Amino acid sequence: METVRTLLDILSVFVLPTIIVGFPLYGLIKKVPVYEEFVEGAKEGFNVAVMIIPYLVAILFAIGMFRASGALDFLIDGLRPVLGWLGVPPEVLPMMIIRPLTGSGSAAIVLDMINQYGEDSLLVKMAATMFGSTETTFYVIAVYFGAVNVKKTRHAVPAGLIADVFAMFLAIYVVRLLFG
Amino acid sequence: MLNYIWAGLIVFSLVFAMVHDLRDLSRDTYRNDRPLPVTLHFPEGYDPDARRVPLTVTIDPETFGAFYGTEARPAASYEGVLVQTREGRQLRFAEDVAVPEPLSTIRAMTSARDNDLRGLIGPLTLRGDTLAATTVTFPPVRFVKMHAIAEAAIDFAETAVTLALGLIGTLALWMGLLQIADRAGMLYSLVRLTQPVLRPLFPGIPKDHPALAMIVLNLTANMLGLGNAATPLGIKAMEELQKLNPEPDTATNDMVMLLAMNTASVQIVPPVLLVAIMGLQINQLFFSILIVTLLSLIVAIASAKVLGRLKAYRDTDPQRAAAGTGREDAGT
Repeated sequence: METVRTLLDILSVFVLPTIIVGFPLYGLIKKVPVYEEFVEGAKEGFNVAVMIIPYLVAILFAIGMFRASGALDFLIDGLRPVLGWLGVPPEVLPMMIIRPLTGSGSAAIVLDMINQYGEDSLLVKMAATMFGSTETTFYVIAVYFGAVNVKKTRHAVPAGLIADVFAMFLAIYVVRLLFG
Repeated sequence: MLNYIWAGLIVFSLVFAMVHDLRDLSRDTYRNDRPLPVTLHFPEGYDPDARRVPLTVTIDPETFGAFYGTEARPAASYEGVLVQTREGRQLRFAEDVAVPEPLSTIRAMTSARDNDLRGLIGPLTLRGDTLAATTVTFPPVRFVKMHAIAEAAIDFAETAVTLALGLIGTLALWMGLLQIADRAGMLYSLVRLTQPVLRPLFPGIPKDHPALAMIVLNLTANMLGLGNAATPLGIKAMEELQKLNPEPDTATNDMVMLLAMNTASVQIVPPVLLVAIMGLQINQLFFSILIVTLLSLIVAIASAKVLGRLKAYRDTDPQRAAAGTGREDAGT
């Protein structure tokens, strides 16, 4: 287990330099005007970033308001008994609800839980597993669809949320099974 | 669905803020315009006519609790200054000191810029040379949450722009590298290599199409925990998928599939941010994260596929509408 882990760590360190150097090097061998092509492609980066702004603003300000109004805390309190019945410890509930909404917010929750319950606690392991195995779904939707100006997202939100909810519950059970 | 979630977030925020503020008003949470008893400790030999007198303030914990009806208790003493102003003598607490609720909210609402809690002083009852009992009346505070949601909306709008502009650099870097890879024919080899696995998941992508290469790169970057690289690659994949989309404002099934696979985000190497937070402790979580993401990837793929077959979503499928009924059905 440890060797696999170390190997993967080393691999992940080398991936970026390999790509960043390897792509132009390979291009050079294939007689591609690498500098010109790079600049040509890179121009697009600015346009894409500007294109996603309206989508990001729309999603983030709504989430920000929801949090500031106290509605999020109310939602968490309201769901507590229901989820307790499903075996969800009440302490990880904020993580489950905030994770799809904001990445920095859920990172702050993990930090806060480490301070409160200690790094070794089951609760922190659950929260960290949730953090590691799901994405900020609404941010991803805003960025990916925003970049190509897609407004009608069809079943993207439900599909993403189903996967999120499943992963959240699974994280609790898997951590209990492995460490509990 | 996003329409309802979005509108719901905004409308519920307003309703909640209103309920919260009305409750504050009816309970008088901030004891508006009512004087809180405090004791002022003047320095030895101070000048009573000076415009600014530095001093320390003490608030009796029991009085404080009873006055605001709270469990919170103030610190033993606070540094402050007494300032002569046109409205009368004003007590200013030192900037940025930790004060208990509801004083911190009062401060945030009434002195956001200087972050020093201010209130007008009532008549002084001298006790000895340096001690005086008096009262302090803080400015009235109303509609805290209403202010908060308006402020949050503006703050987060700015955050969104900062986030988007922060992406420009990495976006440009990856878009440039991909352009080279494309011209060198690397992407084509990648497509040939991976399409037996990926094409069943993305039936809308024709054989040997570069979209597949972008999807592979995006998913690989995700797996290796390279969030910053995964985003530009995902965007590039979306752009390729958009080229195959006959209705540019509507998501195709393939786009939804890519998004679902991204939200499930298989992680062989945990994300950089989590590693930063957890440190070495992360090693223990390697298997739990791997198991959860692998299974949730399956769920994500299945739900994208199954939901795509529901009538409401099938009718809005841009590729289906364009192709008639023939080709698409044969594929899935």
